Amino acid sequence: MEKKKTRYRFGADIGGTFTDILLVDDDSGNLVALKNPSNRKMPEQSIVDGLVQLHEKHDVEPSEVSYFSHGTTLGVNTLLERDGVEVGLLTSKGFRDILELRRLRLPQANDLFAPRPNTLCRRRYVLELEERIGHNGEVILPLKKENVIAAARKLAKQGVENIALCFLHSYRFDAHEKQAKDWIKAEFPNMYVIASSDLWPQQREYERCLVSVINAYVGARMRDCFSSLKQKTEDTGLLTQIFSTKSNGGVMGLKGAGERPVETLLSGPASGVTGAFYVGQTIGETKMITLDMGGTSVDISIVDQAMPYSNENTVGEYPISMPAVDVSAIGAGGGSVAWLDPEGMLKVGPRSAGARPGPACYGLGGEEPTVTDAYAYLGILSPDGILGGNMRLDLDLAKQALKSLGDRLKLSAEQTADAILQVATANIYAEALPQIARRGIETSEFSLFCYGAAGPTHSFLLARELDLKNLIVPPMPGLLCALGCLVADLRADFVASLWRGTKEISLQELGNTYARLEKDARTWLDGQGVDVLSTQIVRSADMCFEGQSFELNICFPNDLSINVPNIESWFRKHYKLIYGIDDLDTPIRLLEARTQIIGLTNKPDLKSLRPFGTKTKVGSIKRKIFENGKSYDATIYQRASLQPGDTFSGPAIVEQYDTTVYVPCGFDISIDAFWNIIGVRSA
Amino acid sequence: MTSDLITLEILINRFQAIVDEMAQALFRTAYTVFIKETQDYGTVLVSPDGEVFAASRRYGVLMMIGHPMAEAIRSMGTDVRPRDVFITNDPFATRGMATHLNDIYLWSPVFHENTLICYVWTFIHMSDVGGRVAGSIAPSNTDITQEGIRVPPRRLYREGILDEDFLKLFLINTRTGEENWGDMKACLAALSTGERRIAQVIKRYGVTAFSESITNSLDYAEQQSRRLISTVPDGTYTYSDYIEGDAVGLGLLRIKLSLKVNAGTFLMDFAGTAPQVRAALNLPSHSQDGHWMMITGLVNWLCTREPTISYNAGLVRPFKIDAPAGSLINPEEGAACGARYSTSHKVCDVIIGALSQAVPNQLPATDSGQAAILLVALPDRATSRTRVSVIQPLVGGSGARPSIDGVDGTMVILNFLKNVPTELLEREMPEILIRKYGLREDSGGAGEYRGGTGAIVEFETNAPFTTVTARNMERYKFPPSGRLGGKPGSTGYSLYKPFGKEPREIGIIDVLEMNAGDVLSFGTQGGGGYGDPLKRPAERVFNDVVDGYLTFETARRDYGVVASLNSGVDEIMTTALREKIREERGPLSFYEFGEARDAYQARWPEELHDAICDTISVLPTVQRQISFSALYEEINARLKDNIAVKPGDVSSIHSEILSRAAESWRIASE
Repeated sequence: MEKKKTRYRFGADIGGTFTDILLVDDDSGNLVALKNPSNRKMPEQSIVDGLVQLHEKHDVEPSEVSYFSHGTTLGVNTLLERDGVEVGLLTSKGFRDILELRRLRLPQANDLFAPRPNTLCRRRYVLELEERIGHNGEVILPLKKENVIAAARKLAKQGVENIALCFLHSYRFDAHEKQAKDWIKAEFPNMYVIASSDLWPQQREYERCLVSVINAYVGARMRDCFSSLKQKTEDTGLLTQIFSTKSNGGVMGLKGAGERPVETLLSGPASGVTGAFYVGQTIGETKMITLDMGGTSVDISIVDQAMPYSNENTVGEYPISMPAVDVSAIGAGGGSVAWLDPEGMLKVGPRSAGARPGPACYGLGGEEPTVTDAYAYLGILSPDGILGGNMRLDLDLAKQALKSLGDRLKLSAEQTADAILQVATANIYAEALPQIARRGIETSEFSLFCYGAAGPTHSFLLARELDLKNLIVPPMPGLLCALGCLVADLRADFVASLWRGTKEISLQELGNTYARLEKDARTWLDGQGVDVLSTQIVRSADMCFEGQSFELNICFPNDLSINVPNIESWFRKHYKLIYGIDDLDTPIRLLEARTQIIGLTNKPDLKSLRPFGTKTKVGSIKRKIFENGKSYDATIYQRASLQPGDTFSGPAIVEQYDTTVYVPCGFDISIDAFWNIIGVRSA
Repeated sequence: MTSDLITLEILINRFQAIVDEMAQALFRTAYTVFIKETQDYGTVLVSPDGEVFAASRRYGVLMMIGHPMAEAIRSMGTDVRPRDVFITNDPFATRGMATHLNDIYLWSPVFHENTLICYVWTFIHMSDVGGRVAGSIAPSNTDITQEGIRVPPRRLYREGILDEDFLKLFLINTRTGEENWGDMKACLAALSTGERRIAQVIKRYGVTAFSESITNSLDYAEQQSRRLISTVPDGTYTYSDYIEGDAVGLGLLRIKLSLKVNAGTFLMDFAGTAPQVRAALNLPSHSQDGHWMMITGLVNWLCTREPTISYNAGLVRPFKIDAPAGSLINPEEGAACGARYSTSHKVCDVIIGALSQAVPNQLPATDSGQAAILLVALPDRATSRTRVSVIQPLVGGSGARPSIDGVDGTMVILNFLKNVPTELLEREMPEILIRKYGLREDSGGAGEYRGGTGAIVEFETNAPFTTVTARNMERYKFPPSGRLGGKPGSTGYSLYKPFGKEPREIGIIDVLEMNAGDVLSFGTQGGGGYGDPLKRPAERVFNDVVDGYLTFETARRDYGVVASLNSGVDEIMTTALREKIREERGPLSFYEFGEARDAYQARWPEELHDAICDTISVLPTVQRQISFSALYEEINARLKDNIAVKPGDVSSIHSEILSRAAESWRIASE
């Protein structure tokens, strides 16, 4: 019975096409990675299948799993594909069109045919209540029970069972929302009712209303999925609690995720950064530009000492005002299609061949050349195929596609492929640079941390154009999101809107506000029912000078006692650091008080995370590749064969199960103690 | 050549990265609301000849291409050195690069080994540059000296040395000197970012490739533009529209366009456009070809046709402009131009109106045409200081598109505008209670595709001396027109309800003082409809009714749809009603201007306007303005008395007016 000891950590990242599963044996340090096709209809199934495979092929008892965490794209897909439930919305009198008017601004520039925004909630299901509370809490129109019940009944009659409530000024005065919710729940116990003040009590009615509506819109499907995940995994014998990853890079329990599914929307990219940050921490790299390149997009994030957060995130056309890991997505990837415009200019993207038909060399019917076809034809990808040979590449099809384009350019297939890579690099550069500039960092102090299926293939090409400290390719670049699931901490954010001059806020009110936030935070953590190693509280505030329309989020050190003079001087100090202006006379305003709680979880030993796959004699094979107008003999390495301390120089190719690392001329490589590939420019 | 094309594509991407990075540098370090919230700034790269060869498509205002920089460059002479920085805001000295004094331009030359390669260029909208009123812009300003300090092109830095005397002089003449300098420093940061990045690109790709790519990228965009224009049938297309919001009371100001499409070029002849006015509506285009404030509609059309099109001044090379000197859109030296946006938007409407005759399925019906910013100012009773805040931008719906409905409550042409959260406003201005902010139901023009609805903003004040101002209010008389049988949208309204009294319509406002308990309500325009409303599927009309965008009455009257909430669409009644409407109505017109404009044009045919313009065109500016309003008043009076006025009579009426004026002068001086 010794074997029954719990010792496994299980992380699963359900993506659009594949579900990546990573299992770590804490005792032996052994690692199992699985890639299963995702199931759109039943997203939980690929995880359950994984558990079964682990049991059957690797002798892993589900009951031996001590930590189980997963990330899902169900929420974000439900939202982007408009596949949620009908939602009803009750608002204050005069404000039926909060969702219709949005913040007015349309996302598309210079587009006379910009689509009409989709409000998620049909206008017929938005009802005004005779209700109004003023900015100072004064009840201008009292809430009447019969109105609330009548409105809910009207919605129920039309089959609407998910209702969001958003009344003006409820971020601070939530009595009407809470009352209305109670009345509705008492009368219609089966209805799902979410009050905007419960979910995210932040001033600005559109943004607050929207997250509540999204929560209701995607929630029903997610709760179904979670409950069947719980049921099915329990049936396999899983005993431990299931966590779900969040947009803020943390995890929460399944019950919490069912209540607040809106917090999972950006969890996919967030997990990747969590994984990258974790790897970076173990090797002492605290300044990194992370670059996750897949088939259709490149996700970029800037880690500067800490995980980057933003409160201005978007999913599709919708702003999500809750804190999320700050990731910018660029529409370029391995699937980006190359084409010629009528003037004969070579363009790459923004259209992607996607998973179907995919690049021409996948042989799934794609006829247009893509970036992946260029990698394959130039010899960068192994002719034996990728994913350990599971995905064959048809170079003849790649050549055909490239040639049809090349004939019009009067270039050979080889030159065409080369040109596609150069243009794709220029595209990524043009999109990435402003994102890097937005953070105002000096790139020469930063590492480029590359992951995703195509990140390590393309990053060195991009690095030629940037002044960087070095490049890092982690041991399992294709499984970094799954790693992120494994190493994430419990993490939750809380907000209170003050929106006043600091002089108008009493010491007591300020103290009470942060005390209440901390209490809510600790209650949340206790509710997760997990033993954590330790707990951290991070207090911050969004502040600005009076009259400014933009704010800075200022983090307060733990030993700073929270009072007005202290937070004022802390703000002025940071303001001066950023803008170089010391505006001593101008009064300061405190907009949002924020608290984040972090419950630190036990982490796997990273040294055990080693590349796996076939091992061959190092440097024994060469392959002809063509790039940047020249032909080279590149040395081929198998990632699993590379040992800490190994060094070599480009041109070289490192093949591994989940990606191909392309090291062009001009880069020197070493393998560090944690099996990371570290690349620097040759002297 | 083909490998050159690949280098060109790579360098075009690099140019784009440079302007975007400059924009981020500017935005990140800027200080004021105009930049942070309304994104009123721009960063571009300019060829030695003064053409914008790269402009951001993501950040800042989206109207940078078509800025004519040549005159600003020329006026700085040939002794241009590295680390020089130039400054101007003068519309007249730059021949239409600047178009009002609030826009400050800063630029620097970029050298490579003593050869001038190009310029890096920025602009910011300053909240205040001095002048008669706070914020510098007032519709009722009569000449440019009232609009703030005017800086003809000059050096701000000579080889990196700041002209501190000048800076002091400039800033002290503005009300927000410190913030202005903060924003100027943000521009300087952007300029040096651009310069540094260009040096890197030159190092990587070589100076020859860089310079050739400037020329080639402009030529390439021109080729793309010409290719798209050549899909438009050759011909001459005319269209007119009227500016209503002249604060000085000249009444309706016509903008007339005759658009000649010929062999891949657009020639826009604005002969017949009203003369410049003694108000801030003048648009100082200097009749520059492809002028940025005259071509928004066309650039949008190109970018809509081909979203991946190159974005630089090559696109506007085929846009030739002929705007009569001394007119509203090409005023002479000294005209006030602070509120020129109204005019620019109307020019856009007129161009889209004309071009849609040629390519009706590529352009929307007319939008609300109003981009007014509603401001409220009230005295703080505790401090006696005046507090000012934006209540909301007053914008209406988009025109319907040939394949989709218009956007409700905002315009696709002005897509970057943002509204103000009510919760924020009520915190800022506790005396103001927003009673309603929502869509204006039933206001979008009917059509196979429906115009976007307008919006309603209704608020109450509980403070005496509440002052409300707005500029750029338009389309209270003539609604946004419908297209191809689509009906016009609704005109705007302003309802003022003094405490305890009945509400009354007060029309376009300039300044209004309110008292405690008063309520003011604005309804903005719905966009015009597109296509025959009888062709809109009855089910969609019904859905619009259920969702409250329309009423059952409108569904019946305009769409011929008979329906009820309980039983849905009555197919038989609907078919019959639609048949009846079809029989009774006349043929559908290409434009549906609405009754008000139809009636006006019956009295005031285009030829009569033309005759007035012809008669006064030879006069010097001031006399032209005097004669213009005198002729309109006189002719209006005669038409009111049912005296027919023929275009041929105008010249003699003008002579009569002149001699009558001379007579009264003689009598007065006796």
